[in-house]
Amino acid sequence: MEPAGDKARIYNSRNARLIREKVMDSFGQKKILYRLITVAAVFGIWQLAANHYQSEFMMPSPLKTMITFTAVVHDADVIKNLLLTLRRVLTGFAYALMIGIPLGFLMGYSKAAMQLFDPLIDSLRQIPIMAWVPLTIVWFGLGDGPTVFLIAFTGTFPIVMNTIAGVQNISRDYYNAARSMGAKPWSIFAHIIVPASMPDILIGSRVAIGLGWMSVI
Amino acid sequence: MELEVENLSKVFINDNTVHTVLRDLSFSVQEGQFVTLLGPSGCGKTTLLTIIAGFQAASGGRILLNGRQVARPGPDRGFVFQNYALFPWMTVRDNILYPMKQQKVPAKEREQRLQELLFMAQLEGKEKLYPHQLSGGMKQRTAFIRALAGKPEVLLMDEPLGAVDFQMRQNLQEELESLWLKDKTTVIMVTHDVDEAIYLSDRVIVMSALEGKVLEDLPVKLPRPRNRKDREYIKTKEHLMDLLKIAVNKRPEPPEAQRELCLA
Ligand SMILES: Nc1ncnc2c1ncn2[C@@H]1O[C@H](COP(=O)(O)OP(=O)(O)OP(=O)(O)O)[C@@H](O)[C@H]1O
Ligand SMILES: [Mg+2]
Repeated sequence: MEPAGDKARIYNSRNARLIREKVMDSFGQKKILYRLITVAAVFGIWQLAANHYQSEFMMPSPLKTMITFTAVVHDADVIKNLLLTLRRVLTGFAYALMIGIPLGFLMGYSKAAMQLFDPLIDSLRQIPIMAWVPLTIVWFGLGDGPTVFLIAFTGTFPIVMNTIAGVQNISRDYYNAARSMGAKPWSIFAHIIVPASMPDILIGSRVAIGLGWMSVI
Repeated sequence: MELEVENLSKVFINDNTVHTVLRDLSFSVQEGQFVTLLGPSGCGKTTLLTIIAGFQAASGGRILLNGRQVARPGPDRGFVFQNYALFPWMTVRDNILYPMKQQKVPAKEREQRLQELLFMAQLEGKEKLYPHQLSGGMKQRTAFIRALAGKPEVLLMDEPLGAVDFQMRQNLQEELESLWLKDKTTVIMVTHDVDEAIYLSDRVIVMSALEGKVLEDLPVKLPRPRNRKDREYIKTKEHLMDLLKIAVNKRPEPPEAQRELCLA
């Protein structure tokens, strides 16, 4: 369990400030163990399926796939494409953050902004993502544009939603406490609203990045 | 410092029914007094205190601080919340510095005041901890000195000891008293605990469940620190207990008077 322990410690150092190390250590190790079981199960089923089909084309065995995979990641072309995809995901994600967080703050804080933007966001959200593809190609041409747009587009929703929830869940007492200490609106925003809603914003961002990878075409 | 509550009323209107919580309430508090608002649950103590703090508006009447009307929250009135409302994303140090930063106290002075307050509340060495790493008593003391940090003229406390068990509560009352004796800021505290009211206050204002009417304004002149077994102490306690039994009574409100207040 040597490497597992290491991983647990890396995981810990990220959360060290919030969560006591001891509790996390055992939890982290357990988590790694569960992950290993999941991976083993997936490979097991895969191998069984490969045995069943006996066809390289329809269902290559996991071992064969891994060997091809290691060969492929050494290929300069593949690496170039990987980096390109990474760049697109990160650019799209950055746009999603830039649009989603301010909009979320605005809608969470102001009822007027909520009523103004909510119908728009709700209807945009219902449109199947594939329906945008032809339009975005017309708008942005064939380069990075369409992909980045779609990644930004899908990522914006979870960020907006979670930021709104984060802002709305802030206890009235925190606002009142700050105001009775003489805090001005700007300070209330920077020192109360932002840190108090940060956990929710991070959750939204995590979902957004996940969706971003899925929107890569 | 003088705080005046002048003909204060508060009505809530829910689904066309008018609910008069406070009607025509008046009293004033002088410099350095520790005043307790005592009354049964739901009689409007929190409502009154939050109106004084400026967190919500009155339906009628006004609050004067040193002769000037106040309607919004401000650093001249510190507030200690029942659940403390310490900012969980700030350390003890940053929590206490926050009000001073808002009032643009120079850095050197801030630091000095911080050390003073930490010393006073016996929290030295705890300044790097986050609120969730503190014990209940430490949280209470932090909330208290945070509210004092901006040097308010009057400190408003809503059941500051409401969240702790009986044993702890008595200890904290003693701690709170010794803290207060070092600072002597004017205090208005809300409680529904008779013993707490007598132990801590110079004056107890007993409110009734019926429109928050003041049933009695009782000075407590016992020497500090008070002995809970003292005869006079026990007598006062029994008197207030009897009064509270009356205070719970809530006769139906005359509909005429209700409409009148609502239109005002
Ligand atoms: N926002 C509101 N809308 C409607 N009614 C309210 C509102 N706030 C308070 N009330 C009513 O006003 C009355 C007084 O409430 P308040 O919280 O001031 O009581 P309290 O004396 O502090 O009670 P407790 O000791 O239980 O804290 C209650 O009947 C409550 O239902
Ligand atoms: Mg209350």
